[in-house]
Amino acid sequence: MKHLSDQELMKLLQDGDLTPAGEIFDRYSARIYNFSYRFLKSSEAAEDATQEVFVKMIRYAKQFHGEAKLSTWLFSIAANHCRDWLRKADNRNKESEETLLTLPAPGESSPERDMERKENEVRVQKALELLTPEQREAILLSRYQGLSYAEIAQIAGCSEGAVKTRVFRAMETLKKALTRQPAGGNECLNVM
Amino acid sequence: MSECHVTRERMPQLLLESIEGGERESSHLHIERCSECGREWSDLRETWATLGEVPEVPVPAGVRGRFLEAIGQRASGNVVVPFRARPAARWIAQAAAVALLVGSFFAGRALAPPSGELSPGQIVALEPVRLSGSQLIPASRLASEIDGTPRIENVRFAPDPSSGDIRLAFDLTSEVTVTGRPGDESLANLLAYVLERRESPSHSRSATIQWIRDNWSAGGKASPELARALASVLKNDTHEGVRLKAIDALKSLPPEASAATQTALIDALRNDPNPAVRLKAVEALANIANAGTPLDPAMLDTLRQKAAQDDENLYVRVRAAEALERIDL
Repeated sequence: MKHLSDQELMKLLQDGDLTPAGEIFDRYSARIYNFSYRFLKSSEAAEDATQEVFVKMIRYAKQFHGEAKLSTWLFSIAANHCRDWLRKADNRNKESEETLLTLPAPGESSPERDMERKENEVRVQKALELLTPEQREAILLSRYQGLSYAEIAQIAGCSEGAVKTRVFRAMETLKKALTRQPAGGNECLNVM
Repeated sequence: MSECHVTRERMPQLLLESIEGGERESSHLHIERCSECGREWSDLRETWATLGEVPEVPVPAGVRGRFLEAIGQRASGNVVVPFRARPAARWIAQAAAVALLVGSFFAGRALAPPSGELSPGQIVALEPVRLSGSQLIPASRLASEIDGTPRIENVRFAPDPSSGDIRLAFDLTSEVTVTGRPGDESLANLLAYVLERRESPSHSRSATIQWIRDNWSAGGKASPELARALASVLKNDTHEGVRLKAIDALKSLPPEASAATQTALIDALRNDPNPAVRLKAVEALANIANAGTPLDPAMLDTLRQKAAQDDENLYVRVRAAEALERIDL
């Protein structure tokens, strides 16, 4: 299975052969899980989202026509799931995910470095929480998944211009949260 | 639109290196000339780099297994149910709704609540209401009216040639509200059931655990059923986040549940694959010990073993050693 392309694996699925499912899961589950984890701020919800994405991939395999990349299609399913999840009022205010889940194994690095990395992760996670869901979706797909604005637009169901605006505003918010800003105004911002 | 504005709008694309020749060159030229935009560019690059330092989170091992298990169910072709395992809470709700339909036939208007006092989703019955997985109901026993707006899905038809009847099967979703006091045994049993149904969504179990932690322990009466169910979650749940919450809830149970709690925590410290869970188990055990609760000798043994175990996570070892120091032996 490993030598087959995404399109070839999907063709098999479309013909009712489920054996490629594991291979596709192995290729994309880490990306889908990480996207969902950062989007939803919950490892439990991210696990459910990941399973749901691949289950839907099989259920709706026939709707994949190959115009878009398989990764784009899977991220579309994941983003839809995450947006639905966040829309549920019960989920919106859930406490932030515990941050110990990625504790490194002994011997990987020094405790000081681990602590610094953990603090950085918490800072980034808190900064991401300042974004609107639309901005967060755009920045996660752009920064962490390396998707183009055109692909993100396809996933988010909006124009490339809207994606551009979302990423721009997201970066402005993240910059304020993650860098030490000098006191005082900013001439260029006033021009804008 | 000023050159500064145009350049700044392009900066995210410059970071992504997704901007073409001429525009890229003119943007970089402007950044070199304009000190404010140069500072902005520097800040954005720093932000971009900080975002990139976040490590990738590994996919928990259980996710692949559950997905493949779902595929197996699908592949067998002999299960006519929704593709994903139905959540337990919904399943309970469905069963309860069916029970209500049947109940309304038996009880008739004599048991019906006065109109206007109750919402459609409430369970009101003088007879015990049994929650069960499925019901076979002759059409003649169905009440003529359907209360509320239950959702009917996954409708299947099957003829019964011997009798000439048809069989109409479906999944029924409706809201069920069970009222009671913390300490009610039947409520504890229901919560324990939700906790132990691992095919239910993890957030259902998570919410249940949270509620137990916030409310049940305040009642002052420990339920052995709940302590056992929480211990089972801690031992068997594939979601690390749920196991961590189970530890919090176990810690909050009253002293009567201490033995079950200690056993579950010791087991987690010895066997849980996730260091974060083991770390939390150590801290919970240390708290129990410091609260003056009689100690299980196995607990001290396990803490000593963890404090000295070379291949254990560094944080767990340190916390185990600190816990032993704090425990007044």
